Amino acid sequence: MKSEEFKNQEYKYGFTTEIENFKAPKGLSNETIKFISKVKKEPQWMLDWRLKAFNRLKALKEPNWQKPKYPKIDYQNLYYYSAPKSMKDKPKSLDDVDPKLIETYNKLGIPLNEQKRLSGVAVDAVFDSVSVATTFKGELDKKGIIFCPISEAIQKHPELVKKYLGSVIPISDHYFATLNSAVFTDGSFVYIPPNTRCPMELSTYFRINASETGQFERTLIIADKGSYVSYLEGCTAPMRDENQLHAANVELIALDDAEIKYSTVQNWYPGDKDGVGGIYNFVTKRGACRGKNSKISWTQVETGSAITWKYPSCILQGDNSVGEFYSIAITNNYQKADTGTKMIHLGKNTRSKIISKGISAGKADNTYRGLVDIGTKALNSRNYTQCDSLLMGNKCGAHTVPYIKNKNSSSTVEHEATTSKINEDQLFYCNQRGLNQEEAVGLIVNGFCKEVLQQLPMEFAVEAQKLVSISLEGSVG
Amino acid sequence: MEQLFNIDLKKILTNSNKELNERKKNLNLFLESGLPNKKDEDWKFTDLNAIIKKNFKTIVNNQEFTFHKRIEIIKDFEHNHIILINGSYKSSDFKFEEKEKVQIKSIKSPKVNSDYSSNNLYCLNRALTVGGFNLEIQKNYKCKKPIIIYNHFTSNLDNKIINNSNKIKLHQNSECTLIEYNIDEGCKFIKNTFEFVEIENGSILKSIILQKTKSNGYFYKSISGSQEYNSSYENFILSSGLRFNKIDLEIDLNKENSNCFVLSGLCLGKTEHQEIRTRINHLAPNCKSYQKIKNVLEGDSKGVYQGKIFVKDIAQKTDAYQLSKALILDDQAEFNAKPELEIYADDVKCSHGSTSGSIDEDAIHYLMTRGIELSVAKKLLINGFLSEIFENFSEKKIKNFLEKSMEDQIDGI
Repeated sequence: MKSEEFKNQEYKYGFTTEIENFKAPKGLSNETIKFISKVKKEPQWMLDWRLKAFNRLKALKEPNWQKPKYPKIDYQNLYYYSAPKSMKDKPKSLDDVDPKLIETYNKLGIPLNEQKRLSGVAVDAVFDSVSVATTFKGELDKKGIIFCPISEAIQKHPELVKKYLGSVIPISDHYFATLNSAVFTDGSFVYIPPNTRCPMELSTYFRINASETGQFERTLIIADKGSYVSYLEGCTAPMRDENQLHAANVELIALDDAEIKYSTVQNWYPGDKDGVGGIYNFVTKRGACRGKNSKISWTQVETGSAITWKYPSCILQGDNSVGEFYSIAITNNYQKADTGTKMIHLGKNTRSKIISKGISAGKADNTYRGLVDIGTKALNSRNYTQCDSLLMGNKCGAHTVPYIKNKNSSSTVEHEATTSKINEDQLFYCNQRGLNQEEAVGLIVNGFCKEVLQQLPMEFAVEAQKLVSISLEGSVG
Repeated sequence: MEQLFNIDLKKILTNSNKELNERKKNLNLFLESGLPNKKDEDWKFTDLNAIIKKNFKTIVNNQEFTFHKRIEIIKDFEHNHIILINGSYKSSDFKFEEKEKVQIKSIKSPKVNSDYSSNNLYCLNRALTVGGFNLEIQKNYKCKKPIIIYNHFTSNLDNKIINNSNKIKLHQNSECTLIEYNIDEGCKFIKNTFEFVEIENGSILKSIILQKTKSNGYFYKSISGSQEYNSSYENFILSSGLRFNKIDLEIDLNKENSNCFVLSGLCLGKTEHQEIRTRINHLAPNCKSYQKIKNVLEGDSKGVYQGKIFVKDIAQKTDAYQLSKALILDDQAEFNAKPELEIYADDVKCSHGSTSGSIDEDAIHYLMTRGIELSVAKKLLINGFLSEIFENFSEKKIKNFLEKSMEDQIDGI
């Protein structure tokens, strides 16, 4: 179905799809966790793992060192599991999917059918907590690539899940990661067998729909020896006034000579102009370059969420491994972002590169916080960091908090940061050539972010460029 | 904490019961929370608690000392001097200056007030301070010669702690160069100093911290400065040679056109640990701050730089710069940096850079092909790397003196 036809169609259900939700009892308790595990038909070991995490959680405290402060979250007043009821028995193909769901996706500009046909992207769409449909399975199956919801992987590939789940983000990590380990509901699982190049970009669209439901996805990507995969994650969320918590965990594992490219465009509801509502995006993303010559590359475009708080990290264990981090974080109105990366160099000849672009407008706060840690044994390692901030107006803030540790004499660390505003001359030049103020700012900001935008796969690059301009609408003049 | 610190407040001369109570209160506050550790963001890379516990079994306060030695006066250039023995004011001589223009008073006890700081070392200082000096330079007076503060420590200081506190005030349009020159006799002791600096409109203060010889001292010095319209404050930190040293600078640029410089060149030998933490608060428009920190690290030494530039929303046209560079000579050495920016104004020029790495092999090769020995070539490069920081120092004689002491340190490598 073409999107044109959708525009003409009357959308009588509003922006929130009215599907009867199937919810776990409210609150955080052993019962909730058992309920989630039961609904997911999980084996005993998985339930034990969750309960172990929950026990650990009881001893942990919420961190408070971050710059953006938020009102206290009442964890007992949240639902930890909600799935559309009609999904209780999983649909076998797209035809079986509730048409209302398809409608919501289209409203958000994610036409599953279109995407499947046009872009050749296999989409594993997560609607609230259960995967709706997985496309292009056949082609991936042929190559032996596993791309499925993690709940399915727990049942079908327990040996892989047991081996790798929690191996990068242990269950005793910080508060939100542990919370996720206890109550995660769904997410994606990817396994690329040795010496395989994944023939297409794998992609997931996460959405948060039901009110008062924090989404707790768990993503696990394993690239076996000599393999390559590029994974896209895109997010949108409907308008809502209540703050919603989102605490996902993403674990990447790259073995010898493997490469993982993980791209994110995050455009969740940022709250309105007065800072009411919006998503709390507290995400833990961590990748381990376990093998020699492995590579993990994170690219992110963060324009949404009331509070973004995430540090996609690389643990460079294998000799000659490479970690990369490219980030654009745009905050407007009352948005707050505290984001950055950690590059932990453990192996010899490891290299890392960090390019971070922060843009603040309105009354927003944008912080880059990063760690580069070169261990004693990480001989001949190199790091290059560049973080640039752009400020629009004097009501917003741009902050840089880099931590740099160098513990051996043969490694080199370089760090640069600048903070400035949009050059008046450049604006004038654009105005002179007939661009209005807003278009000119869009153009200049896109130029400022170019280094990062270039890293995005084609499917995202166009969308991201538009997003950069749209996010700053109304911030000039 | 109480086992480590064996403190007897009766040993300190107190004027009143009120003061004694104040000291007790501060001491209890300190003992409750103890020495700072890595959980404290300001001590992220330095676990003072662990360092002190590792090196000291008990720490006592004892202010009794006798001092008969003659202090060796620096002959390289003419200067005024202040003599401090174990942190207390002993004597001063301002023979090159006009009468009444430079005034110094000895402070014996802390002022009684009820502001309690979250900095535990400040509580400790207030509990045990033996005073220090209060230096004032009068309005419109420019000191003709620099003032050297001979900071002498006696030979009976093993396992002791010294707490003192100084005040320096430059009245309008005055000028002064202060050199803190630390001399000790090889004891293993702790020094905890708090210094308060006020620089009024149009005044210029240059401050240099220098160590005479290698020392077993564990030093902490906090400097809080406030600057008014058109004032300038230059800090040179050249205090290599101590087992442990942390300089904690917090400067408020309160009024327009004030400038602040922090320049440091450190050459750290085996087991040395030095940290420089700065926080420059740009609170008014058109101010400038410039920080350049250079470290050379040998053996298992550790260098830390934690710098922060804060720019308030009204502080437009701020020009702030931070640079930290480290040369790591051995694999056991470590350099940590946290150059931080917190900016709320948009029309500013703020940037920082940080690099760390080893000596450039190509440069060594270049020098060696021209017949220069490896060790000499290394020293030459290190010298070039460090001496850059006093490039713009105007007084020739002082500059030569500083360069010479830097060379001595490099020769020690």
